[in-house]
Amino acid sequence: MPRTIIAIYFSLLALAAACERTETPTEPTLDAQLRQDIGRWGVIPIGPMPTQPEALVDLGQALMFDKILSGNRDVACATCHHPSTHEGDGLSLSIGTGGTGLGPSRTLGPGRQFVRRNAPSLLNDGLGLFYLFWDGRVARFLSSFNGGPPVPGDVPNLLSAQAMLPVLDRREMRGEPGDRDVFGAPNELAQIADSDSAAVWQALMRRLLAIPEYVAKFNRAFPNTPTSALRFQQAAEALAAFQVAALTKTNSPFDRYLTHDDAALTTQQKRGAQLFFGTALCSSCHNGPLLGGNGFANAGVPQLGPGSPATPPLDRGRADLPDQQFYQFAFRVAPLRNVELTAPYMHDGAFSTLDAVVRHYNDVPLTLTTYDASQLDPALRSTYHGDAATTDSVIRTLDFRLQTPLHLSDAELADLVAFLKSLTDPSARDLSALVPAAVPSGLPVPQ
Amino acid sequence: MTVPGALALSALFLMTAPTLGAQLISIKTVPIAQGDQFNVFPSLNQGMGGVAIGLPDTLLDPFRNPAKGGRLSIARFFGSPMVYGVSNDAGGGRTLPVAAIAPLGSWFGGLSLAVQEVDPSRPPGSVLMGPPPPGVVVRGPLPIVVTPPAPESHGNAYVFALVGKTLPKQQVSLAASFSWARLNAMDGVDLLYPGSQSINQFGHEVDVRAGLLKEWAGDRALDAVVLHNHVGMSQDVSYLDLFWDPGTQSVQQRGRVDHELDRTDTWGLALQYARPLTASGWRIGWLATGNLMSHPKIPNYELMNIPRDPGHSHAYQVGVGVARVSGPATFGLDAVYEPIWSDTWAAAAAPTATGAGDTIPVGGKTIENRFHFSNFQFRMGIGRDIVLGGRPRGATWQLGLAAHTVHYWLVQSDFVQSAVRPQEEWWVEWTPTWGLTLRFPELELRYNGRVTKGTGRPSTQSTPTFLADAAGVRSGDLLVAPSGPITLQGVSVVTHQISLSLPLH
Repeated sequence: MPRTIIAIYFSLLALAAACERTETPTEPTLDAQLRQDIGRWGVIPIGPMPTQPEALVDLGQALMFDKILSGNRDVACATCHHPSTHEGDGLSLSIGTGGTGLGPSRTLGPGRQFVRRNAPSLLNDGLGLFYLFWDGRVARFLSSFNGGPPVPGDVPNLLSAQAMLPVLDRREMRGEPGDRDVFGAPNELAQIADSDSAAVWQALMRRLLAIPEYVAKFNRAFPNTPTSALRFQQAAEALAAFQVAALTKTNSPFDRYLTHDDAALTTQQKRGAQLFFGTALCSSCHNGPLLGGNGFANAGVPQLGPGSPATPPLDRGRADLPDQQFYQFAFRVAPLRNVELTAPYMHDGAFSTLDAVVRHYNDVPLTLTTYDASQLDPALRSTYHGDAATTDSVIRTLDFRLQTPLHLSDAELADLVAFLKSLTDPSARDLSALVPAAVPSGLPVPQ
Repeated sequence: MTVPGALALSALFLMTAPTLGAQLISIKTVPIAQGDQFNVFPSLNQGMGGVAIGLPDTLLDPFRNPAKGGRLSIARFFGSPMVYGVSNDAGGGRTLPVAAIAPLGSWFGGLSLAVQEVDPSRPPGSVLMGPPPPGVVVRGPLPIVVTPPAPESHGNAYVFALVGKTLPKQQVSLAASFSWARLNAMDGVDLLYPGSQSINQFGHEVDVRAGLLKEWAGDRALDAVVLHNHVGMSQDVSYLDLFWDPGTQSVQQRGRVDHELDRTDTWGLALQYARPLTASGWRIGWLATGNLMSHPKIPNYELMNIPRDPGHSHAYQVGVGVARVSGPATFGLDAVYEPIWSDTWAAAAAPTATGAGDTIPVGGKTIENRFHFSNFQFRMGIGRDIVLGGRPRGATWQLGLAAHTVHYWLVQSDFVQSAVRPQEEWWVEWTPTWGLTLRFPELELRYNGRVTKGTGRPSTQSTPTFLADAAGVRSGDLLVAPSGPITLQGVSVVTHQISLSLPLH
């Protein structure tokens, strides 16, 4: 018996060894897989925003909506960054001083040109983006990357530095030499040389501090600074504080998903997220805690508008900054929270819907060469530069990740859009409460 | 040891007892290797694959069915230090049980105490999260978080007591047993929460049994045991989460503790019968076991991510075994079929809108998992006595093999999304065993060893991250979150047990 049994024993041993199977037995669930995909791209939850001093926020709100900051007293920051259009203006290219109306119905004034780029939404700008403006001219690394006008070194943060600049731009807020303001008085800001930014800021402070209500607001916001020592940096700091306090919107379903609420996203949104963080390659640019805002890419966006002063009528984006020639037609990768609310999209608003954007990314060379300008505002159609030379220039330097079509199906594109809509904080949908009834200058509030 | 083997149920669906006892049926949905934490009492047949149906195991049987303690004719003391280790530095443990069982007239009783140390299953110093996303500036010291040095081993304690009475006229033994365990560590649980920093486990297990043994002339015996088992474990799982702090505009970390509860109540009935088959030394036996389990609370293991909360199961075993003792040679073989049905579900914590437009009320099922298992166990072994210098000195060597096939089908219904997901899994765990017993006039020294293969321990494959972009972020400033699919790394669980058995005078 023992010999037979031993033979059977070793036969069974061999059989058992042959049956061994130790690979992962279960396919990860959609959530498990998605969380792994998300973790791969450094997407992490956003913590709470520190509370801003109330007096500073109050001052910032007044400045945001007060047209006194524009040379002609006809444009406020909020004209192009209005709560009704989710802190953008709903236009492909913005319309600055001289224009009339608000939001998508705003029209150019006589003899005026479009601002060369789209007004990006200010939502979540206070979270700590690495770059502000489409070309990233204001950057965290001020010393090495700042290619814009010099900003005083003592601005407390990036957002304050950004707030110093639109008032210098003639097309956006300052006006052209010879302009008269809405009361018919000469525009003293427009008469200052472009190279003398400090004089523009000083002139603005003279305007503000001539109004007692502003003096009181500044004194409450900066109790340790004598009125005579107040500078535009303080105004910019207040504008930044208002943005941080009022425009930080990070309670989207996706944010809740990041904090371990599996039910926060629908199945379609999760499928879209899998594409976003996987085969659609979106996350190769839109990554990190803010889903973008940390780099530049030539996304093959159709060229339209007046172009940059250096290379009209084209807008070469970051390449127009000193020492940034490498970034031909490259613009800042936009952070994506609340993107559903901030149409039109891209640096020149070439696409009016998220569906159009994802279709563009599905085959960038094709959509660039077949772009239909009829989707643009009639006033802009003539500024579309769809000639072969221009599109060839853009395609030649196209980001390498976009050179090959993705071949996503319609259903997959719909999933991607569904995911992008999961980035919307419900409280960002209606920001009308941010519009004040009046501002200290007494000028009409854009609303 | 069968009694603490019940604890395996506390880690329902992931952990299982490798014990070969038939009274408590464990359920397992992932082939995770479980250390031999609960296999601590001495056994005659362990070296023979643990055959238990056709061949009695007088050392281990009293811990399975207390009525079988009546078979001991003299008082005995046992000590059986046991060590086990999981390959690839994936855990291990040491147990020192001592036990005494003694007859006193028609009464008999026993007491056992055991202390145990369980090592953590994670290798010390493993990097938990490393450097991360492009564009993330890390202020201050680079926060590469390294899993703290493996936490110290945690201790468990077990107490077992039995008391019974033999009715010689009726050839019946009746007994009851009680066991209690204080548990601060269950082997491998720390691996079920990948990404966690630490796990604080605490809880207890209570097992109460009433047993009956009826013997007839001709070496026929029927035994029955009724049991109730309760396991209550808590797991405080600590995580260190990265988050973007808008205040400092940098990546920071914050702690998070998930409190997981693990509760299972089991009622069980087991019947076993054995009798000689012929006069040539063959025996045959059968067993039938039923367990009804309720799971008021099931942990949400990160590993498998099957949403579930409460549930219930019913599990059965039917088996047959044959054995033969022929001169110095012993042979045994058991075959057991194990059908199990289990139903678990996740309950809505808040009113939940469904894709169909309905609303699931609080407490309603959002996801339901219906498992059907069709498992088999197979055990066989041989042994042979060797005479050493004449009786009563002697030795016995043993060789055995146990195999456990797990095959289940899961139908997961998602009532929120109105979706159904089927899944089928199977695997085979196999355990070669060996043993050597040395018998002396005053004591028996027994060594059993086994190695279980076919299972694994989870690990996370890291995925290379991409290059930092032109943001000027140096690679040294980057952190990479844990990434990559969780896979099982094949491991072996090797157990060595030395037991000393001596009569008490």
